[in-house]
Amino acid sequence: MTPIAGSVALNLAFGFSILTVLTLFLYNKNGDERLFLTGQRLALGISFFVFLATFILAYQLVQSNFDIDYVARYTSLETPVVYKISALWAGQSGSLLFWLFILSIYTTIVILQNQQKHNSLMPWVIITLAIVQMFFLVLTNYVTNPFKPTDADFIVSNGNGLNPLLQNVTMAIHPPTLYLGYVGFSVPFGFAISAMINRDTSPLWIQSIRRWSLVAWLFLSIGIILGGWWAYRELGWGGYWAWDPVENASFMPWLTATAFVHSIIIQEKKDMLRVWNMVLIIITFTLCIFGTFLTRSGVMSSVHSFTGSSLGPIFLTFVFSIMIVSFGMMYFRRNDLRSTKKMESFTSRESGFLFNNMIFVVMCFAVFWGTLFPVFSEAIRGTKITVGPPFFNQINIPIGLILLALTGIGPLLAWRKTGKKILIRNFTFPIITGLIVAILLLIIGLRGAVVISFSLGAFVTATITTEFTRGIQARRKKFNESIITALIKIVSKNRSRYGGYVVHLGIVFMFVGFTGHAFDQEKEFSLKVGESNHVAGYNFKLIQMSETERPNHYAWISDLRVTNDEGKFVTNLHPEKRIYFHRNPDPNRRQPHSELDIYTTMNRDIYSIFSGVDSENSVAFIKIMVNPLVQWVWLGGYILVFGTIVALWPRKDQ
Amino acid sequence: MDIIKEYGFIIIFFIMPVIFVIQPLFLPMIEEKKNQLSVDGLKRKKLLIYRQIKELEMDHDIGNINESDYKLSREALKQDVSEIITKLNSL
Repeated sequence: MTPIAGSVALNLAFGFSILTVLTLFLYNKNGDERLFLTGQRLALGISFFVFLATFILAYQLVQSNFDIDYVARYTSLETPVVYKISALWAGQSGSLLFWLFILSIYTTIVILQNQQKHNSLMPWVIITLAIVQMFFLVLTNYVTNPFKPTDADFIVSNGNGLNPLLQNVTMAIHPPTLYLGYVGFSVPFGFAISAMINRDTSPLWIQSIRRWSLVAWLFLSIGIILGGWWAYRELGWGGYWAWDPVENASFMPWLTATAFVHSIIIQEKKDMLRVWNMVLIIITFTLCIFGTFLTRSGVMSSVHSFTGSSLGPIFLTFVFSIMIVSFGMMYFRRNDLRSTKKMESFTSRESGFLFNNMIFVVMCFAVFWGTLFPVFSEAIRGTKITVGPPFFNQINIPIGLILLALTGIGPLLAWRKTGKKILIRNFTFPIITGLIVAILLLIIGLRGAVVISFSLGAFVTATITTEFTRGIQARRKKFNESIITALIKIVSKNRSRYGGYVVHLGIVFMFVGFTGHAFDQEKEFSLKVGESNHVAGYNFKLIQMSETERPNHYAWISDLRVTNDEGKFVTNLHPEKRIYFHRNPDPNRRQPHSELDIYTTMNRDIYSIFSGVDSENSVAFIKIMVNPLVQWVWLGGYILVFGTIVALWPRKDQ
Repeated sequence: MDIIKEYGFIIIFFIMPVIFVIQPLFLPMIEEKKNQLSVDGLKRKKLLIYRQIKELEMDHDIGNINESDYKLSREALKQDVSEIITKLNSL
């Protein structure tokens, strides 16, 4: 398991990627099946060598082989084993290898899955995936090699260690899930390119990628939610979303991917929106590469951007190449992409889907503009102008509320056209529910976007309830089943439909959580042992402050006793002030970090941060935030994941 | 011992994959399966339409589509299926 074997494996993978493309090009020309088999095996060979290189790097990280620059930069002898493994995606070269590793897993699955299916799209799918692998192999072989030896002309006895912010279990899971999402869209993109080259733009290619798209979308969603969870629990500013460039980099493809997973339903069922679906998957994949570029190039300053480098021009060239080739191909295949069917009515489910798609794309454009505005302003006027959360909130809150409304409206519309009678019958209960909630909120004194958000949430929940109730009633009428049996049957026979409704319910929960942000309260104060302070109906008393030394840090631990206004005990909170690399003789290399403690309920979170310590006078500097409804965001995330799994669960005929 | 380990590593991880990859090139000529490809495609299309008919029935049962639209759409889908079955039988 020598490091040199890792470099050789990456070189061989690069060679195999070139051979894969050449062999399959030849197959497409002369149709010799032996060439197709060889091309398939070459592609499996790329994956094999990438797996090998990744395992070798992981092994070197665990073994603390500081002769490798990457190992010395991102781990130290004190780093716990789990974080030594997660250091694989902590730095630039490792994370690019990890991207490649995930792409290789996906490529292997696609090849093995379609081996017996004689899928006519496969040769070009493999070529497309091999070209993407080739790009990342160029980077990992020649631009930023993870196996590069340490520059020092002495034996490196210990490494720098991992950034303390990354020493968190969530952070060990968040990047892989996000990457599983980013990389996952390579597969639908490969099928889209292949469908255009083969002039097979009927709904069949959509059928091949529907599940892949949902899997990638699910991972991207989990990655984004985990990122929010990590930011909330680790960064210590009390929020989970800050419109940070790297957060936006994952949110943009999520928006277009969400539009895509909706609009492919129209193509699958009605053979419409062929061009639109192509545009969406090309943009989604391009944004995934662009997201990797934003995180890894150092072009944007961000709390999440852990690297700075000269990768920018290479990534940008690849991003533009993807767009030029893909849209060029669309232009040459414009006749094949023309749908024969047209929308028949404005009040149809098809037009509802299209409208929701447009809103998603508009939102994506707004986020894109805001994210890159500093870059554009610097390029044009020479000054970097950053737009902060107020810009994003001002634009995206109304758009988000429109999307929430459409989440409720869409399922109530019928395919082709919705007659007046059906329109009135379907909308009456949800609208009345939404109005009742709005009136009640106005009576208790709430105003503005908060009222709109909660009442739209009620409207969508009523829609989902109506859909489930109608389905159960119809089933019971037809088969005389019990409510539970009918519920199980309608869901199991229409998984994507009812799984989708569950996802919508998850979104409603998340919006309730987002709306809770309007009621956040915070206060910063200092406390000596025995003193107390009051925030948002709670009393905080510092019972004691202790110190401890752990393997990779030194910590001051505060013991805060929380009681409510009536003096009733609520909880004890133990936020910590830590110093990582505390044994380092160079004080500049020691890193302070606040490990917060949170008391959570469905109504509110009590969020405590130990922001500073005066150990001589035994004074703790504490920040308290009371954040209502945050748990609804995470609960919504669980529901969203559950709904997507229901929608993905294979049917008997699959 | 170290040399054996090193060579063993090279054989297992580098030479075996190369043999695995080039092996199909030594197989006798394989005939193209174009016929099989179109049969697979038609079968998938048929499955897709069957699913659409079931979903249409579901929409009809819960009252999300009016009677005339339902009949029209169902007939169109049934027509598509019969065309596919005819094509499949001719292959």
